[in-house]
Amino acid sequence: MSQAFDREWQLGELLDGPLLEQFGANLRTLLASELAISDAAGQTLWGIAPPDAQRLPLILELEPIGYLLGHASDSGRLTAARNLLQIQLRAQVRFRMASTLHLEAVAEDFESLRREHARLSESEARYKALSAELEERVRHQVAVLEERQQMLYQAEKLASVGQLAAGMAHEINNPLGFVRSNLSTFTKYLEKLGELKTALGEDLAAWQTLDLDFVLEDGVDLLQESAKGLERIARIVADLKSFSNVDRASEEFTDLNDCLQQAAGIVEKQLPAGINIQLDLLPLPRLICLPGHINQLFFNVIRNAMQAIQDAGRPGSIRISSEANEAGIAIRIRDDGIGMQPAQLERAFEPFYTTRPVGAGVGLGLSTARNIVLAHSGRITLDSQPDGGTTVSIFFPAPP
Amino acid sequence: MPESDPRHLTFKLVYYGPAQSGKTTNLLRLHDQLAPEMKGEVMTMETKDDRTLFFDLLPLGFRAPSGLLIKFRLFTVPGQVAHDGTRKAVLSRADGVVFVADADRAQETNNGESFQSLADNCARVGIDFSQLPLVVQFNKCDLPTATPESEVRERWASAPWPLVFSIALTGFGVEPTLATLLRSVYRRFADEYALASQHGLDEAAFVAGAMGQAA
Ligand SMILES: Nc1nc2c(ncn2[C@@H]2O[C@H](COP(=O)(O)OP(=O)(O)OP(=O)(O)O)[C@@H](O)[C@H]2O)c(=O)[nH]1
Ligand SMILES: [Mg+2]
Repeated sequence: MSQAFDREWQLGELLDGPLLEQFGANLRTLLASELAISDAAGQTLWGIAPPDAQRLPLILELEPIGYLLGHASDSGRLTAARNLLQIQLRAQVRFRMASTLHLEAVAEDFESLRREHARLSESEARYKALSAELEERVRHQVAVLEERQQMLYQAEKLASVGQLAAGMAHEINNPLGFVRSNLSTFTKYLEKLGELKTALGEDLAAWQTLDLDFVLEDGVDLLQESAKGLERIARIVADLKSFSNVDRASEEFTDLNDCLQQAAGIVEKQLPAGINIQLDLLPLPRLICLPGHINQLFFNVIRNAMQAIQDAGRPGSIRISSEANEAGIAIRIRDDGIGMQPAQLERAFEPFYTTRPVGAGVGLGLSTARNIVLAHSGRITLDSQPDGGTTVSIFFPAPP
Repeated sequence: MPESDPRHLTFKLVYYGPAQSGKTTNLLRLHDQLAPEMKGEVMTMETKDDRTLFFDLLPLGFRAPSGLLIKFRLFTVPGQVAHDGTRKAVLSRADGVVFVADADRAQETNNGESFQSLADNCARVGIDFSQLPLVVQFNKCDLPTATPESEVRERWASAPWPLVFSIALTGFGVEPTLATLLRSVYRRFADEYALASQHGLDEAAFVAGAMGQAA
């Protein structure tokens, strides 16, 4: 602690060379005799002690830190000189202690400020991190809410489509029933007409004039064709009902290949000539999902593919493939239709964005598709070349 | 640690406490009242309106029977809150502390904060507070608004430090305060410096030597 303000100060450090010289020389002049100043150990720092020198102590606190040596016969003056020197030394030590203490105090204050600063920086960093985290959480919550809202919207829309389909199916099934039963009755009536021919015996002039043999034969054919037509109507109604899944609004273990087949089946019924659908489906693990939503998703994408080929104004095909690996299920729906311009591609997922003429579609197709994929934690990507066709890739990760 | 060489042993004793509690007054009274073998002047470093800016210093000393010079340097710190850096620097290397509290009831909070700062500053300057010889002085007991002694004693009952009640203005209690601190200091350092075995100083002689009541 040799630099501390409260150390024991030595004469040599309080009176350096030039000061000693000034004091010594002036005192010698005042006393008009030789004198010397020595340190506590008796070592002379300045001057020459006369032979019969008297030694007076220089005291700062309790003990001498040095001595003034002068002529004994002049002791009154010598004491006065010692007192002057002592006053100077005390002033000097006060100054040195105060300035050293001041430095120590400044260092301490600086240290406190540094500590305080470090503390503040740390808490500032903590608050920054906290606010970033809060912002992130708010963003996340907003995203979740938006997603829920989209899902709700979808669910409602799908439900109303489903209800419509179910209502229509019911309404159609009724007349379908009595038309079918009437037709079968009518078949029996035709048989009665055949019996009439036997009953007429040889008198077949009127029969032949009216060409009732042909009527009988063609009548049976017409009725059979009508029955087939009715079967088709019944199947379409059944498809529509199962596609809309009114009776299945909750999550189920589902084979996505079934969904692809159903959706392709619906589109196939509207396919214009020159467009075909090829399915290349590999076995898939079952996925927990809302089958009604997934059907809607596939339907939208496949219908878009069909329209893209129509827009190209040439024959084409839609290729649908599925496969699974450890990461999840990958589905690809590819068309060789008109493709998209980069600008279109960029906005393709926006709701209500459409390139079709007003009235041809509301443009909810891909945006709805993406919402459904996201709701199932999946990814959907588009790859398209103008006039080179479009590939929609959908990926559902395997459950963790 | 007291500063020592073969011929001296110096103890640094510090009067610590809130602003205006009477630290400087304690030192001035001691200077008047004590008569040890050696006594220096009170060195008062710069005051402003009677409030200490740096420190006050009173040197005392006596020679042990062995010839060892035992010195005491009594310091006061500036009590004003703003001078914490100076207070810490003055407190550094203290071998014993008198905490001068202001008995005025209105000063209770200041006393508490100052005492806490004593503990904190000890830690910062490397003094083991739990080992530090410490006396708590309640000064200004003459004030009509002073907290009664019984109440103070009750409140400090569980604390390990001796309490002294004083009126520094008149000198009452000032010497007992120092004597109490000196006894704690003796017990803390006597073995380490072989005060009894090598220097012929028992506790009473140590206290009497410092205060000048020897013969
Ligand atoms: N009534 C009364 N006043 C006192 C007593 N002791 C000191 N004072 C007064 O209190 C005031 C402050 O005393 P100081 O000794 O300067 O206080 P301090 O603790 O050194 O103050 P700082 O240097 O500012 O920390 C002075 O006016 C003293 O006269 C006491 O026992 N009773
Ligand atoms: Mg003071």
